[in-house]
Amino acid sequence: MEISLYQLLTPLVAIVAILYAWSLVFRHKKTLWEGILWTIFWGLVAAIALFPSVMTYISSLMGIKNRENAVFITFFGVIFFIVFYLVMRLEELEQKQTKIVRKMALKNSNLGEEAPENN
Amino acid sequence: MRTIAVIPAYNEEGRVAQVVRDVLKFVDSVIVVDDGSTDKTADAATKAGAIVVHHVENCGAGAATMTGIEAARRFGADVLVTLDADEQHSPDDIPALLAPIEKDEADIVFANRFGQRNRIPFIRRLFNGIGNIITFGVTGKWVADSQCGFKVFGPKALKQIDLKMSGFEFCTEIVRESAQHKWRTAQVPTKVIYSEYTLAKGQSFANGVKTALKILLRSFIR
Repeated sequence: MEISLYQLLTPLVAIVAILYAWSLVFRHKKTLWEGILWTIFWGLVAAIALFPSVMTYISSLMGIKNRENAVFITFFGVIFFIVFYLVMRLEELEQKQTKIVRKMALKNSNLGEEAPENN
Repeated sequence: MRTIAVIPAYNEEGRVAQVVRDVLKFVDSVIVVDDGSTDKTADAATKAGAIVVHHVENCGAGAATMTGIEAARRFGADVLVTLDADEQHSPDDIPALLAPIEKDEADIVFANRFGQRNRIPFIRRLFNGIGNIITFGVTGKWVADSQCGFKVFGPKALKQIDLKMSGFEFCTEIVRESAQHKWRTAQVPTKVIYSEYTLAKGQSFANGVKTALKILLRSFIR
């Protein structure tokens, strides 16, 4: 079986994501249920990457014609986009919060123009 | 040259004072950035002779370091030394780190904890090795101890540096900045003292994974 770079990288990313999810579960930052859900989700992503024919099997099992596979793919694409967008927004918010804290710190410290004399 | 040391500190009440006193022997001033500590870190640092800048909320080592850098610029620093507040770095190494800057041979000097015989636990060596590989992967620059907080910035680096990352990813960001701005770099072997305390305060595996992912994510969205 010929394996593409995508088929190699996606399962690796999935493994990292699953490990991370379970580390959060063990640190009580995620519930057991959430851990299972993330494992199933990333497991499916890895399985579809490794065995693309799974999609055909699932679609035939569910009585969906091949054309509808596009809907599945689009759906996954949209979900990935939303998650990516949310991560970006969180990063932005974190940066904004950090900027405010930094500015407040400098302002509250009454930092003047003159050099400090503490030595 | 006016040399200022920046020490980011989070809940280091018991250790920061001694670090400040030791560092003051080698620099003109010490700025401690109290990163939202819930103990008396700020009081201890002030009593020891440091200028304290206080974050009202814990933002991470990267954010605290950048606040310290901005404060040092306002105080007219020419050279900046950064080091941790947990006594893992020996201030006696500061003159050796300053030497390449004073000789105008480097713009940034990285301490290298692996450059001399130090008792470093295997897990720490492993994590640092992974950190070095990831750093090399996203910056294209190899630094033997990229994740060490002990560094010296020369005038050019101090003027140009602009850290965006708040957490431990900032060490990788500094390497990236050095590559981007083409700073001349030097690496100096230094002593490191790992105690049970410093090991307990270190990053967990989960934190390491989170840091690595943030670095990779940032490398995509920058």
